[in-house]
Amino acid sequence: MIKETEVDGVPTLIAPVNGPMSAGLVFRVGYADEVLARAGITHLIEHLALFDTGQADYHYNGRTGAAFTEFHLRGREHDVVSFLTGVCTSLGALPMHRLEIERQVLLTEESGQSLTPAHVLAPWRYGARGYGLPGYLEYGVPVITPDEIQHWLRTWFTKENAVLWIAGDGVPAGLRLPLPSSGRRWAPPAVTSALPVTPAYFRGPLNGAAFDAVVPIGAASQVYAEVLQRELFRELRQASGLSYTTATGYTTHAHGTAQVTAVADALPEKQSAVLGGLIDALLTLSVGRVEQADVDAAKTKGREALTDPDAEAAMLSAQANALLVGRPIRTVEERLAELDAVTVEQVAEVAAGAMTTGLLLVPPGSTADWAGFTAAPTTSYTVVPGHTFAVVDDDQDRFHIGPTGVSRVIGDQAATVLYAECSAMLIWPDGGRLLIGHDGMRVAVEPTMIAGDPTVLYQVGTGLPPHLVVRMPAREESEIPRPEPVAPTPAPPEKQGLFRRKKS
Amino acid sequence: MSGDKPLPAQFEPTTWYPELRLFPAATRAGDWPAIAAGFQQLGGWQAATVAIDLIADVHGADQFFRQVVARDPSPMAATILGRCLIHAGWRIRTAARASQVSRQQFDALHAHLRDAERALMDVTARDPRALLAWESRLTTARGLELGVAEGRRRYDRLARVAPHHFWAQSFFLQHACPKWGGSWEEAFGFARQCAAAAPPGGMHGALVATVHLERWASLTGDESTQHVLDARPEVWAAAQRSVLHPAFRREPGWVFAVNAFAFFFHVTGDNPAARPFFHLLGDFGHTRWWESFGDPVEEFQAGKAQTFGGVRA
Repeated sequence: MIKETEVDGVPTLIAPVNGPMSAGLVFRVGYADEVLARAGITHLIEHLALFDTGQADYHYNGRTGAAFTEFHLRGREHDVVSFLTGVCTSLGALPMHRLEIERQVLLTEESGQSLTPAHVLAPWRYGARGYGLPGYLEYGVPVITPDEIQHWLRTWFTKENAVLWIAGDGVPAGLRLPLPSSGRRWAPPAVTSALPVTPAYFRGPLNGAAFDAVVPIGAASQVYAEVLQRELFRELRQASGLSYTTATGYTTHAHGTAQVTAVADALPEKQSAVLGGLIDALLTLSVGRVEQADVDAAKTKGREALTDPDAEAAMLSAQANALLVGRPIRTVEERLAELDAVTVEQVAEVAAGAMTTGLLLVPPGSTADWAGFTAAPTTSYTVVPGHTFAVVDDDQDRFHIGPTGVSRVIGDQAATVLYAECSAMLIWPDGGRLLIGHDGMRVAVEPTMIAGDPTVLYQVGTGLPPHLVVRMPAREESEIPRPEPVAPTPAPPEKQGLFRRKKS
Repeated sequence: MSGDKPLPAQFEPTTWYPELRLFPAATRAGDWPAIAAGFQQLGGWQAATVAIDLIADVHGADQFFRQVVARDPSPMAATILGRCLIHAGWRIRTAARASQVSRQQFDALHAHLRDAERALMDVTARDPRALLAWESRLTTARGLELGVAEGRRRYDRLARVAPHHFWAQSFFLQHACPKWGGSWEEAFGFARQCAAAAPPGGMHGALVATVHLERWASLTGDESTQHVLDARPEVWAAAQRSVLHPAFRREPGWVFAVNAFAFFFHVTGDNPAARPFFHLLGDFGHTRWWESFGDPVEEFQAGKAQTFGGVRA
């Protein structure tokens, strides 16, 4: 049974646990609250706040997600007290002398990370803002100023915007949470969309195929995720050996829906079959051919998790998230009752809905229009009015620069970023600029590539608010695009890549 | 996927398999109940495969089955519609070389194949044992260029239900060839594996003749001749286990299978070896392969005459 109380004005959830105590302090802030040009500011604060709590003997950590940031620790009671109080004290007076070092730590962490399918899918579904931002690089990390950090702290890391959870017997003696007060708890970030139509697909950098869909929060959706995994495992792994790994996941979103993600890996020569098998599996469930045995097995698995003696404690972090966004705290008994009531028909209904909201990542060279998925936009529908400037050596390739934004037009394809819908503009000392729009569209404006006077390009984006601008360090000579030397038979440049949105 | 020119009766599937005549007739008459009842009467999926092709070869059958599906949706009607759309698409594309086919023709083909695929994938999702729909999905996978691995996955799904499905094997063999993105290694491996695994007396040996003919067609001059000469012992052994085996029965599809052997040995110039196959064919003829030399009907007749020493059989 979860007890609710308060510590220094911070709502607190407590459930008993066997073994050592653990606790987490959760704030309703994450990547989805940031802007692309300052992406990583929450993560940077999380790192700075943890610096002074370095207790290598214990399992403590911070986790910055799309809508929640959590500091948690497992250990003895007095360690919990000193950790949580230490985090709150740190948040009140961050060790700013660590700023440059933590910037490097984050950049190193980022370069060592591989892309998860969820990260690859997010920008295509949500664009270069909101819930799409976890799929982007943390562009802000090198340029975020101390003032911006202070402002972000005062806005988000306050007692009204926090919830504490404790897996243990109760509030440890002497626990204080000295957090500033702002008087408000923040609503979940708005849900944006970069998809005019669903179901949709795009080509992505993955050996295999992946899928996600927006589904209702609830046990039926959780069971659907498990049933889909069983179908994928049977078809792609057991029956045909096409995939080594098949996996599905279910996550709730701060804005009141859930997301089901599925991924199946493949050897390069088997990718088309893995895509076909994934689509067939999704369709099989969506037309209602859901096996009772799979539903039963999924329910049994869910029940095992819920009837674990520490089940209540294991759910505390998720319950804290729910409380922060105003969703009800639900007991294990309520969850069990909901799970037990799930029927094959309900799972089929979720499956049918998942097909209509789905986004499919297909391997390079593949499509999914044949299966009823619409290609996600890789080019813009509009071109800004303004002056046009030819690109060196190619009369089919032009920049359009106007008061409302910038376009690059190659043949009949365009990429446009409007200043009013700009997520970030990166500027290099050599004058090169990269603009990224809310929809994820990218336009690179390179002085080296323009025929005529390149200084006209320096006016691009001058009116943008400073927090959308990222001043980049100097690039290597080799990274600055140059016109291709004239060759007897020049290969066609792969200009298509200009318009693709990918993590880079 | 016959052309527009009417063929002599002995080249028509309705002559070889008179019991299937009702299908194109009822399609032309727009009589869906008669077609549905006809499928109930059929003795097995071999016949159903030929029957559904006979329906799909009727011009306008796709329009008719769109109406049937809208009025009275059923897996059977959706399956037939899928096949009709495939044939209609290929009629627009024509059998010409890709370089002779316009962008518009290709677009129309692909639009038809996508519509077919959507109808068919829904059928297989609801019933994974839906053989006829899986069979057609082998063709859509090839035409939509979804990849040889995807074609193979579909064949494997079908083979779980019917492990020795000669038509499905013939369809996938096309996809496994280099002209559709496969490789000779894959094509030969598949044909030999299917023929070896099939029960004696089945039509499956014709897959071995077919894959050698595909290779022959891909080569030119002496190389192509040498290829079939080298392949003679293997194809002959395949025939012994197949259409020349005492257990061989004339099931729907047999004319296609026997014709592949007849043409193969005709190409090798080995008249005595070709004779048993023309004997088996009797009065019947097939256009497949003979179009390589010119008018297929004339070439078939000439080939047959040559086999029997210049005397028309």
